[in-house]
Amino acid sequence: MSDLNGGSPMEVLGEGWSAMVGDYAMAGGWSRGGEALVVGDAEGGVYAFDGESGETAWERRGVHDGGVLSVAVHPKGSVIATAGQDGRVLLWNADEGQVTRAIDVGSSWVEKVAWSQDGQRLAASCSRQVCVYDVDGAEVWRSDDHPSTVSALAWSRRGELATACYGRVSFLGAATGKARQTLEWQGSLVSMVLSPDGDIVACGSQDNSVHFWRRSTGQDSEMWGYPAKPSALAFDDSGTVLATGGGASVTVWSFRKKGPEGTRPGVLAFHEQPISTLAFAPGAMRLASGGRDGAVVVWMLKVTGRGRPVGAEDLGAPVAQLYWRPDGRALAALDARGGVTVWKIGQESGRIRRPRQEQGLSTGGN
Amino acid sequence: MNTQQRVPVTILTGFLGSGKTTLLNRILTEEHGKRIAVIENEYGEVGIDQALVINADEEVFEMSNGCICCTVRGDLIRVLNNLSKRRDKFDYVLVETTGLADPGPVAQTFFMDEELRAEYALDGIVSLVDAAHIEQQLGRSDESTEQIAFADVLVLNKTDLVNGEALDGLEARLRGMNRMARVVRSERANVPVETVLDLGAFNLDEVLERRPTFLEPEYPFEWTGVYSLDAGRYEFSLIDGPDPTMSLIVVPDQGADDAALRVSAEWCVRQYAEPAEIIHPGGEIPVGRHVNLQLASPGRKSFFLDFEAHVQVGLYTQHLSEEFDFQLRNADGVVVPAEVERTWVAQHEHDDTVGSVAIERDGDADPEKLNAWIGQLLRERGVDIFRMKGFISIAGQSRRFVFQGVHMLVDSQPEREWGDAPRRNQLVFIGRNLDGQSMREGFEACLT
Repeated sequence: MSDLNGGSPMEVLGEGWSAMVGDYAMAGGWSRGGEALVVGDAEGGVYAFDGESGETAWERRGVHDGGVLSVAVHPKGSVIATAGQDGRVLLWNADEGQVTRAIDVGSSWVEKVAWSQDGQRLAASCSRQVCVYDVDGAEVWRSDDHPSTVSALAWSRRGELATACYGRVSFLGAATGKARQTLEWQGSLVSMVLSPDGDIVACGSQDNSVHFWRRSTGQDSEMWGYPAKPSALAFDDSGTVLATGGGASVTVWSFRKKGPEGTRPGVLAFHEQPISTLAFAPGAMRLASGGRDGAVVVWMLKVTGRGRPVGAEDLGAPVAQLYWRPDGRALAALDARGGVTVWKIGQESGRIRRPRQEQGLSTGGN
Repeated sequence: MNTQQRVPVTILTGFLGSGKTTLLNRILTEEHGKRIAVIENEYGEVGIDQALVINADEEVFEMSNGCICCTVRGDLIRVLNNLSKRRDKFDYVLVETTGLADPGPVAQTFFMDEELRAEYALDGIVSLVDAAHIEQQLGRSDESTEQIAFADVLVLNKTDLVNGEALDGLEARLRGMNRMARVVRSERANVPVETVLDLGAFNLDEVLERRPTFLEPEYPFEWTGVYSLDAGRYEFSLIDGPDPTMSLIVVPDQGADDAALRVSAEWCVRQYAEPAEIIHPGGEIPVGRHVNLQLASPGRKSFFLDFEAHVQVGLYTQHLSEEFDFQLRNADGVVVPAEVERTWVAQHEHDDTVGSVAIERDGDADPEKLNAWIGQLLRERGVDIFRMKGFISIAGQSRRFVFQGVHMLVDSQPEREWGDAPRRNQLVFIGRNLDGQSMREGFEACLT
């Protein structure tokens, strides 16, 4: 990747800051509108860093016994939810780092937490159930047992909660958790993302494929041929392209016109090991990919799904997560050695528009 | 991918009541210096402080292609991938399955999921067998058969509840189903930890040392005695043994060296396939024919052999000499000892469809031919092949390749240097209705 470093005019990853947490940086997010970055680690600590300087704003070690598994920042940015192997969800005041509410969800790991887009509801998955809480942490409803452990959560714009597990995706009503739609398919669904309008549900499957459904028509399709399971998925904010991991290449499907059925995807080759995380910049066709090879790459994409790299850095450790700041002008990377790296994003290539929404989709992909 | 850095995983299987929990507790409380993570099934009951115990639902996931080889344990993938992220992690993983589990999916998980495969390596499958109940279980369920067929170590437990003879019979039956496995007897799962953990990819050398006939084909006879006899009449007598009949072939002009014994053994295999001539006590035993001695009457029973000139004959008998106290006496009533004795790996007598095929050949294998052969074999028979393991000498490679697999999934890597050691290939397959002959021929064709 040396050809992209060293002050190349294409390099959009400008110098920012870096910091460390205690162990594998599992998940995080930008809080307070991008003024701070919060990170949870594998030894159960939660940290907040100043978004500009990288100085530690606060740190609370060992709060989740066994480790943090998921972090979700409230759309307004002032409340953080963390979940872990201790079976708990903690609600935090983002400014002070105080736990405002501790919720015992169940005896199993709480693997995912996700805020609804209106910020009124928080969903947490624990074994075969999902629980939904209000903004103060009071339980609103709890689902029946799913057929297997819930592997992914996502809120649609209309306020339905989508859950994925082995063999199916379910859409549950926000008010009571009543199932509104069930999409079945025999496969172990390991990841899920909804298109911004909520019509398309895409899931990565253990058998190295991506399956997706169009909810309005009931049509579903299967994308085969991945060398590994696609555990990273991301839609751009316009819902035109779906970027998928599942190997060392990023495979980008374009939903333009009648696609992606019958079309060839864009294949973005740069990483040397499987993709671990993908994130689109808010409101832009700018994609960040992180791999187990430690590389972070920024790509400019076309609506066809083709694209070119415009910046790359090597973190020296597998990349765990990538988070764009809500204004799209900084990118945060969490890595397996506990590194937290933030780059300022240059403007020389590609327009960076204001996002159309205050916050990107909350897909629970953390 | 480096095997050394991957965390070894032992899978513990066995029916309810076979002693899994006892063994698990024993392993966890013993001083072995390991930090073990235990993935227990939802009914597990281990509660040991120093171990990291995680209860997981056994979530067996089949894929849309319907291939049983793609069936995996989804819970293990999630749990172990998450656990591997912690820096102060454990250095060993034990996975306990529920009694009724098919070991296939749990073993396959460590081959199928590429992320898991980078962090963990299957060290071995340990199956506990309740000596008092396994015969019934084998008759009733495929799972118990599979738990035996998949095992690297069979712990024959609760031996105090079964008499020695029945135990020997049971052990023979288990070996017949799975010759690769090491059989360890115990009363209350009190086996040394080193017999179940850290087995290494497959220590075939050690197995061969323990049982030199391990890789030999199975024969319908267990014993051969070579006798040098002058012309005259001889009495062959036997006492009561474990079987009311015994098959026998007297091979003429039998050489005493091992090569000659093997040649005759192959000939006898074909003769044994012919219907036997029934011989009652007092009868004459013809030379070169498959006969069946009738031994139901009480006491020592005699049969007779007549030779017109000096001969050297081989007696290929269905059972061991010691079981029936064979005696060969000349006309003067003097016992004639065998010049050479040899035992053979006996075919199991149960009609178990699960068995082992072992292949041992000197020389180098051509990598392309080998890949084509293994590929075809696993495509066609992968569903019926539970386990495979072995070493291969690949032409042009200075190190020997070690491989192991489950159903259609194989993991192979270069291991130690051959050095001055003779280059040879040793392969073992455990499966259902395997055709050993055609597999041996198939491998033979891969040699350069």
